[in-house]
Amino acid sequence: MSRTDPHKRDVRALRVHINALIAGEASLESYDILVFDGGFSWGDDHGAGVLEAVRLKYNLGTALQRFIRDGKLILGICNGFQALVNLGFLPGLDADYETRRVALTFNDCGNFRDDWVYLAVDSASPCVFTRGISRLELPVRHGEGKFYASAETIGRLVEQGQIVLRYALPDGAPAGGKFPYNPNGSLDDVAGICDPTGRIFGLMPHPEAFHHWTNHPDWTRTKTLRKREGRPPADDPPAALHIFQNAVDYIKKQTA
Amino acid sequence: MPSRLEITLKEDLFDAEGAAIRRKANDYFGYHVGSVRTIHILTIDMALTEEQLEAIQRDIFTNPVTQVSSYRPLDLDFDWTLWVGYRPGVRDNPGSTAVEAVEDYFKIRAKEGEGIYTSKRFCLQGADLSFEDADRIARELLANDTIQQWRVFSRKDWDPATGIGIMVPKVKLNHRPTVTAIAMGSDEELAEISKARNLALNPNDIPTIRAYYQREDVMAERRKVGLSSATDVELEYISQARSDHCNHNTFKGLFHYRDLATGEHQVVDNLFATCIESPTLTLKAKKPWVVSVLWDNAGVGRFNDDYHYVITGETHNSPSNMEAYGGAITGIVGVYRDPMGTGKGAKLIAGMYGYCVGPRDYAGALKPRLHPKRLLDGVIEGVRDGGNKSGIPTPFGQVWFDEGYLGKCLVFVTAIGLMPARVLGQPSEKKSTSPGDLIVMCGGRVGKDGIHGVTAASEEFSEHTPAGHVQIGDPYTQKKMHDFLMEARDEGLIAFLTDNGGGGLSSSIGESARFSNGCEVELDKVPLKYEGLDQWEIWVSESQERMTVAIRPEHEARFMALSKKHAVESTVIGRYTDSGKLHITYEGKTCAYVDLDLLSSRFPQWTFEAQWLPPEHRGLTEPVLGEPTDPEGVLVAMLARPNIASKEWIVRQYDHEVQGTSVIKPLVGRGRDVNSDAVVLRPVLDAPEGLAAAHALLPAYSRIDTYPMVACTIDEAVRRVVAVGGDPDRIGGVDNFCWPCIQYDPDQNPDGKYKAAQLVRANWALRDTCLAYGIPLLSGKDSMYVDGHLKGPYGETHKVSGLPTLQFTCTSVVPDITQCVTLDAKAPGDLVYVLGMTRDELGASEYYEHLGHVGLRVPGLHPEPCLACYRALHRAIRQGHVASCHGVYRGGLGVHLALVAMGSRLGMAIDLSKIPGSGGLRPHTLLYSESPGRFIVTVAPEDRSAFEALMRDAAFACVGTVSEGQDLVIGDPDRPAWIRLSVTRLLSAWKGPFGGLI
Repeated sequence: MSRTDPHKRDVRALRVHINALIAGEASLESYDILVFDGGFSWGDDHGAGVLEAVRLKYNLGTALQRFIRDGKLILGICNGFQALVNLGFLPGLDADYETRRVALTFNDCGNFRDDWVYLAVDSASPCVFTRGISRLELPVRHGEGKFYASAETIGRLVEQGQIVLRYALPDGAPAGGKFPYNPNGSLDDVAGICDPTGRIFGLMPHPEAFHHWTNHPDWTRTKTLRKREGRPPADDPPAALHIFQNAVDYIKKQTA
Repeated sequence: MPSRLEITLKEDLFDAEGAAIRRKANDYFGYHVGSVRTIHILTIDMALTEEQLEAIQRDIFTNPVTQVSSYRPLDLDFDWTLWVGYRPGVRDNPGSTAVEAVEDYFKIRAKEGEGIYTSKRFCLQGADLSFEDADRIARELLANDTIQQWRVFSRKDWDPATGIGIMVPKVKLNHRPTVTAIAMGSDEELAEISKARNLALNPNDIPTIRAYYQREDVMAERRKVGLSSATDVELEYISQARSDHCNHNTFKGLFHYRDLATGEHQVVDNLFATCIESPTLTLKAKKPWVVSVLWDNAGVGRFNDDYHYVITGETHNSPSNMEAYGGAITGIVGVYRDPMGTGKGAKLIAGMYGYCVGPRDYAGALKPRLHPKRLLDGVIEGVRDGGNKSGIPTPFGQVWFDEGYLGKCLVFVTAIGLMPARVLGQPSEKKSTSPGDLIVMCGGRVGKDGIHGVTAASEEFSEHTPAGHVQIGDPYTQKKMHDFLMEARDEGLIAFLTDNGGGGLSSSIGESARFSNGCEVELDKVPLKYEGLDQWEIWVSESQERMTVAIRPEHEARFMALSKKHAVESTVIGRYTDSGKLHITYEGKTCAYVDLDLLSSRFPQWTFEAQWLPPEHRGLTEPVLGEPTDPEGVLVAMLARPNIASKEWIVRQYDHEVQGTSVIKPLVGRGRDVNSDAVVLRPVLDAPEGLAAAHALLPAYSRIDTYPMVACTIDEAVRRVVAVGGDPDRIGGVDNFCWPCIQYDPDQNPDGKYKAAQLVRANWALRDTCLAYGIPLLSGKDSMYVDGHLKGPYGETHKVSGLPTLQFTCTSVVPDITQCVTLDAKAPGDLVYVLGMTRDELGASEYYEHLGHVGLRVPGLHPEPCLACYRALHRAIRQGHVASCHGVYRGGLGVHLALVAMGSRLGMAIDLSKIPGSGGLRPHTLLYSESPGRFIVTVAPEDRSAFEALMRDAAFACVGTVSEGQDLVIGDPDRPAWIRLSVTRLLSAWKGPFGGLI
């Protein structure tokens, strides 16, 4: 998001090439929210998000650390989450944004998997992106999404409310490792975590892929049944969009 | 001295890759392997200090949370350790990205000849395994000898200090590039040369080629540039351009077609012109939405006022048959370049797949190069990585098992792109080269890849010979190039672009130079992967991930700046002229100088004898079958047939939602596990329109007659897109023919005349059906020679020809995505309708195949009533009267009613006596006949009258209701519950064969 004129609160999403930032053709300073989106950066060779993290760390490390210190927001989705973890921006324990403490490794099922999952949101989490959201349904599409960390680290994450999203059963209870509800074998069903401030958030599922009610796998059924009850096909924009709206609202408030 | 870094997961982490190998060793060979741990190896052949090596080990290549690593062999426990690495010259994608990361980390550039090579070592525990067992796991599970090498070490052979040793698969050619002049004193001499150099020149073309070089004016002009005899560069160029692959000589051939039953004879001159081009041009004139067809890399149709969609389909059969993973990934990544290189360039929005392979559990006597199980696994994974790593959804695909594909598998890959209707005010579908434009090669570098294939295959492998004929696509390099070219397009920098696929620069420059009428190419400017390539090799190499672009000289600086931003290599390698000549130089010296119009001069047409014998004259009859007394057993068995059963494991490996465009997904219904008729994408996220796409395959019908095979295949693809909400009046088609060799030879191809007649009849059906349905062919390809020679039990070989196969793809625009429907019934009490006539047409059906018969009465298409029905159905869908809609395809009503019930997780009660056309048909005929033109539709009771009014002119009937319970009940007034099966039972049968695969 660009803060071109704080009074007009102009919100714009721009795609900025990593090489444009490195070459100085664009500057992180002009932005408030930094989103690392999904994909297979550098083919995910040598570990998902590993080479992207190396390129960011050794070319833009100082600017990125400053971005964090300035209290701006960072969101990593799928490959972006993997990069944030490899950069050490997450989990950011003890304000250390350089050390790798957690990992996203190969799915236990042994393959890339595209499926929709149910997610339970920790409402007590400091995460600014998930405020007001209790449950989500989103697609996952990854081969390396198994969250892994030492028991001690996971304990601290739980304690500080940093485990924002957990894979869940349809009723909202944690998946308890059960495939395919937990699609990758993530420890403690972890699907997304934030740093202790709640301003850096990474998740494996794809909120950007649920931007319209026709993205949901059940929409034709839901629409038909609601029509028979005299209701519109969907009430509200998908909850996934609140993740982005929350981020924008947060920045607006900060800069007001 | 190169260094070898070994990296592995920490001991307490689950090794999913190792677990999969362990499972496969058991599944494939029955070996009990205790555990498998995987070690990733980087062999670093760069001048780095010890401190530097330590730094990259720590900061790049080892994840401290999950991995351990060492420059000494890791001490893992094993009974056998298997090392697998690439042969020299095989594309090593992680090796390249490793070099890039090291360069970036130290801000250095790797020197000429430096590199990083990846390989793997697998540590197996299994005391019972013999050396032969371990070697078999390496050879048949882990490595493919066309691209990989391997070593097997037992515990006692293992030296913990040296490990696998240092393996550097570097290409060293030690060859000075040479242009060879080729004298061709006689036709025979040229034929010999063609054979020796694998030029594959058609004997009929040889006199035309020789005559050209003997022309006085040609000789005089050649002398001026220092040439006399033809050069190898020139002959390679001519050979590529005249190949069947590039020129479609078979489809443009002259067929003497004779019906042996009636004695009628007719001459069919050029199937392409009469059955593809002419109908498509006729339809284009009537359908303004058809934007650009028949000349570019892919066809272009209007999506909405602001955007066009672009589509084409390809096959990559032979390479996939050799190296399944490499062939398939190269196929999908390669076909993406067609839309990318159409008009001024299209962004990729979808890929699709079709696989025809031998039975997955084949246990017969013939020995295919790769067992179908392994081949299919490799093909699936190749398309998975090609699609997923390109950020392009792969939402639709099909698999067909048949023993005919043991000889050669078919791998269909389809690509769809999107482009703005105008680029800076100019039509985006138009492009041209002009004299003075620069020729730019973008993307990857050139190596010996894909040169002739056969040449490399006949060479002895040595430690440093490049394995050239099988390639591995590199989605990462191509993705960068794609993003770069789209930006360049939007800035108006692209005058012309096309991809480098078959024939490499020879094709892309040869074809693009026809617009300006000439070109000058400096081959020494072409960036190479390694030194030592001959000029002709640079010219025809099929190294992947390359595009040829024409830009105006004033755009060079901006184009190169954008290229640099995207980390894409772009090089000016010549310019377009209007000299009428293809002029190639190397270090200033001319090595080819050919008139561009040589290729449009009159080469003789290929000719074929085609002899048709109707099926009843070939001894085919209907089997005499009594009615089954266990009708439930039949349905359960039908659902478990490999060509019917659930293949969810493939679908879920493919990212079908990236780009956020997913509207109708490949798996739908309450359990999200039943295959949708078609998929719908919303490629422009703020527009209401969608693009429906699907394809169909029905090669089984070719056993009886290829005419109905093609007609029914097209009809199925049409119904698929109509079923989800596609407009039947805006359907575009893509035809992909795969056929065995049709050139008669008394010894090698004794049934060649029959196969030629099958091709003629298939084309007639294509013409007739497309005209009847109003389907312009946006694109299409043909791949001949679907034959293989397989070893039998005694070492003898058997020629195995694939079934004549058409994959037909349909696209259609959905006017409003929120009106799309899926196949699952939505609520108990809804009415179940069957649309379209069911006839006594079990010939070549799945039912007959299951019972071991072929039969005679193959399904026939009656397009006029069908089209009227589809239009009425489309209106009903648009008006919201349809709760669910599903076409009836392979397996007939029985199978497809079951699919609707499974998709709904609801029962249905069906009265067979009400099915349109049921008069006089027996229940098993009604349930398993594969008559085209039918749908199963459910409708809410309150929509009944509106729906029936819209459908009044079509054959349709209400045949039952959706029930509260979970049973599918099928019967008639005499036997109301002839079949009663719960949805659970249906699901367990349908998921039985492949449900355990992930």
